[in-house]
Amino acid sequence: MTIVTGKAEARRRLQPGWSGALRKIWEHRADYAYVLPAIVVMLIVIAYPIYYTVELSFFKTPPGLQLRDKSFIGFDNYTAILTSAVFWKVTWNTLIWTLGSTFIAFVLGFATALALHRDFIGRGVLRAILIIPWVISAVAASYIWKWIYHSDFGIIGAVLVGLGLADRPPNFIDNVSTVLPSLIVVNIWREFPFAMIMMMAGLQTVPDQLLRAARVDGASAWQRFWHVTFPHLRNVSVVTILLLAVANFNSFIIPWIMTGGGPSNASHIWITHIYELAFGRQRWGVASAYSVLLFLMLMTLGYFYVRALSGNDRKEGSA
Amino acid sequence: MSTIAETASRGQTRRRSVDGWQWAGRVFLLFMLLYTALPMIWMLITSIKSGFAATQFPPQWWPDEPTLASYQKLLDPQNSVGQDFLRFFWNSLFVSTVTTILSVIVAVPAAYAFSRFSFPGRNFLFFAVLLRNMFPAVIFLVPLFILMRAIGLVNTHGSLVLTYLTFGLPLAIWLLKGFYDNIPVQLEQAARIDGATRFQAFILIVMPLSTPGIIATAIYSFIGAWNEYIYAYTFLSKNDQLTLPVGIQRFFSENTTDFPGLMAASFMMSVPVVVLFLVLQRYFVRALTEGAVKH
Amino acid sequence: MAHVVLKDLVKTYGSFKAVNNVSLTVNDGEFVALVGPSGCGKTTTLNLVAGLTPITSGDIVIGERLVNDLDPKDRDIAMVFQNYALYPQKSVYKNLAFPLQMRKLPRDEIDRKVKEAARVLDMTHLLERKPRELSGGQQQRVALGRALVRDPAVFLMDEPLSNLDAKLRVQMRSEIKRFHQDLKATIIYVTHDQLEAVTMADKMAVMNGGYLQQYDSPAQVFAHPVNMFVASFIGSPAMSLIPLEASTANGNTVLTSAEGWILELSQLNARKVQRATTKKVVLGARHSTIKLHKSAAPGAIPAKAYTVEPTGDVTFVQAFLSGAIVNISVSPNIAVAPDEQIWLEFDQERTHLFDGETEMALKAD
Repeated sequence: MTIVTGKAEARRRLQPGWSGALRKIWEHRADYAYVLPAIVVMLIVIAYPIYYTVELSFFKTPPGLQLRDKSFIGFDNYTAILTSAVFWKVTWNTLIWTLGSTFIAFVLGFATALALHRDFIGRGVLRAILIIPWVISAVAASYIWKWIYHSDFGIIGAVLVGLGLADRPPNFIDNVSTVLPSLIVVNIWREFPFAMIMMMAGLQTVPDQLLRAARVDGASAWQRFWHVTFPHLRNVSVVTILLLAVANFNSFIIPWIMTGGGPSNASHIWITHIYELAFGRQRWGVASAYSVLLFLMLMTLGYFYVRALSGNDRKEGSA
Repeated sequence: MSTIAETASRGQTRRRSVDGWQWAGRVFLLFMLLYTALPMIWMLITSIKSGFAATQFPPQWWPDEPTLASYQKLLDPQNSVGQDFLRFFWNSLFVSTVTTILSVIVAVPAAYAFSRFSFPGRNFLFFAVLLRNMFPAVIFLVPLFILMRAIGLVNTHGSLVLTYLTFGLPLAIWLLKGFYDNIPVQLEQAARIDGATRFQAFILIVMPLSTPGIIATAIYSFIGAWNEYIYAYTFLSKNDQLTLPVGIQRFFSENTTDFPGLMAASFMMSVPVVVLFLVLQRYFVRALTEGAVKH
Repeated sequence: MAHVVLKDLVKTYGSFKAVNNVSLTVNDGEFVALVGPSGCGKTTTLNLVAGLTPITSGDIVIGERLVNDLDPKDRDIAMVFQNYALYPQKSVYKNLAFPLQMRKLPRDEIDRKVKEAARVLDMTHLLERKPRELSGGQQQRVALGRALVRDPAVFLMDEPLSNLDAKLRVQMRSEIKRFHQDLKATIIYVTHDQLEAVTMADKMAVMNGGYLQQYDSPAQVFAHPVNMFVASFIGSPAMSLIPLEASTANGNTVLTSAEGWILELSQLNARKVQRATTKKVVLGARHSTIKLHKSAAPGAIPAKAYTVEPTGDVTFVQAFLSGAIVNISVSPNIAVAPDEQIWLEFDQERTHLFDGETEMALKAD
């Protein structure tokens, strides 16, 4: 065999440093074609808006979208936000809303998944019913609950009066102290099914052998859960909680449609507040500065999100 | 989704005296069922009341004179209410369908590449795509509104399709990647040795196998687009362009007391996605299992 | 059919060298087994030949063509995978037809060839089934059929039997061997099971750590392992390797154990030991080359039986010598009890000696 080529030699010479990296990219050029459409769409609709938001946050903007007349004011928008009372009120609301919804929705979802794990007649039907709130639109859900909470004809109020627990129907969402919990109940109604599905899926991955081994070792139902099932679901739980937290942090529809942030900002959360600043009061610069702050907070959350996901993504692609 | 092993282990526990956990579980499930179902039942009951019957105190638990008048009104093309509602319905259907088709076309190759290839920057791009999930719609609203105005898409369904696409893509890519990770790479290798190009191996072997994943992704995209509110609320102002969530809101902020009509509309708006979900729920749930809960 | 030449083949992943300067020639019609422990680079080598993994450097020649940069589909090869890689959505018929369709053969010819392959492999009755409706052995046969139907220049097989149960594996082993004899096919066969390699292959390439250790006929590899790795990897139970020290007693070269005993050497073996670069010498002996005495015998070394494993035909006795486990096979009618005192005598004609530093086999000249 005397087949000798210069090709391998040439390849070797190209290896190190930058030319190596470029060569690698060039060698994989066909692979990029697969992701290119996704990347292009993402760039247009994500990268540009982020850039634009950051830029706008340093400008004083006239109402209306006549943004040519904007003027540079440095960090004034930021200081205005951080020194306003509304900011801290809204931040507090956001915190309660996000933590409360996430925690309760997760616990309810997890508990439901556990209760549904054992087979019984009608399990499939029950599961399907329980998931429906997650499927229907948040707009529909908001209207349904707004009607349920209605101060004159709401069914909850009527039941409370009927049972003698109240003299007249309480005003759930027009009351500063009850509005946020009332909205959280609606939010959980829509979200616990998601936690349920995720945890049901997770439960299926708990090795039956381990549970049996634990039973042979004399572990009680609670001990089996605590020592076998729960540790096994750690990863799924983290991902679920993070996804819920992000979704809650970003929710808009329920407070916006049910209360519009009222009464007196008691149900305003960050997103509804930003929306009102921008599209209600036309204060684009301030709204942008708010968005940038939000962005920074989410990046922090995002760091954990990616960490949790990459923990879940051990499989290496091969080619 | 019960396995044989699961059933077997259940048999073993049954032999012990009925334990407290099981009862606690049943009571809890009953509570969750009531929490979930009662609001929906109340929606249905209200929707078959007359406007008068709905605004009684104490409420009529079951309407004295059930009527389908609200539904008839919404579905009557002769009536202006019906015309609007049917138009909104059609708009939602159009936007959701186009979004779904485009999502699948864009997400399938991307997810495949993320699953199979190890090109430089793969992880960075993958997480960049996933990060999109982190950002609320509001951050993008103002600049996107300006962008859409600049390219003349305000008040068109194109603006919604483009935006929904980026909404749905991260999740779609993530879910599909889970599916592709579970398809043995040897199948493609075999196809390539059998004489297929990489592309042919993808189209002829991998695509058919990932059909469940594609169906699941499509449902997610469709439901997401169908239920979306904030962009539609911002980008659309002309009545004949509105999608259902926005249309209904506009519509009933003008007739605040027509609760039976509002409940009937909420119900009708939910029917397509709930039916879609119930029919295809095994794909829906499986996608989450394979995409999100890989072990 | 064609020959295959690998020349200075290298595959690196980052700084990890999976395949290191592997060169070997597979002659036309030869059955070559790539064998080694997992992670030794054998499967990577096969994937390089298949074109599924791009090579870092080196050359691959199939037939008379340099195939370095050719797609798998253009290399005129067929491959059988460990998990069979049958297309799950296609029937057996369509699985077999796929490679032919890809080559755009006319429909009637495809039909003829598929039916022929099915007849040869005795699975005509399975043609309409889906892969998941088949047993492991049947799936394996379909995978083989899909490779066969194409009439390729080279067959590549990646651990094709390792997913089968023990009994079926032995049966399929002889079927593949028969298949090779009938077709005079050039086959490159990857396995971690040295027994498969020894029983089936014309030649075996023993790999470890990405390096080709030895490439020769199974008989040669068995009789003359080039180093301690090959010696211990080929043969079952494994060759016993006893670390000893070279010294002189009464003017003769002998091996001494840290345990105090001395092994006198034949002239040939003494010459080998003298060529070692160090005093450390490892004595290698297969189970059948050690004779077990139940009472002291001249030249035999005292030891204690540790375990006794009767297998029916032979009984394996294990003992410790110089800290190493020694396997001895004895006739089943010799009764040995654990902890019993025994004496071991090495057949000097058939022992192996290795340099304790380089681990290479010592040669007399």
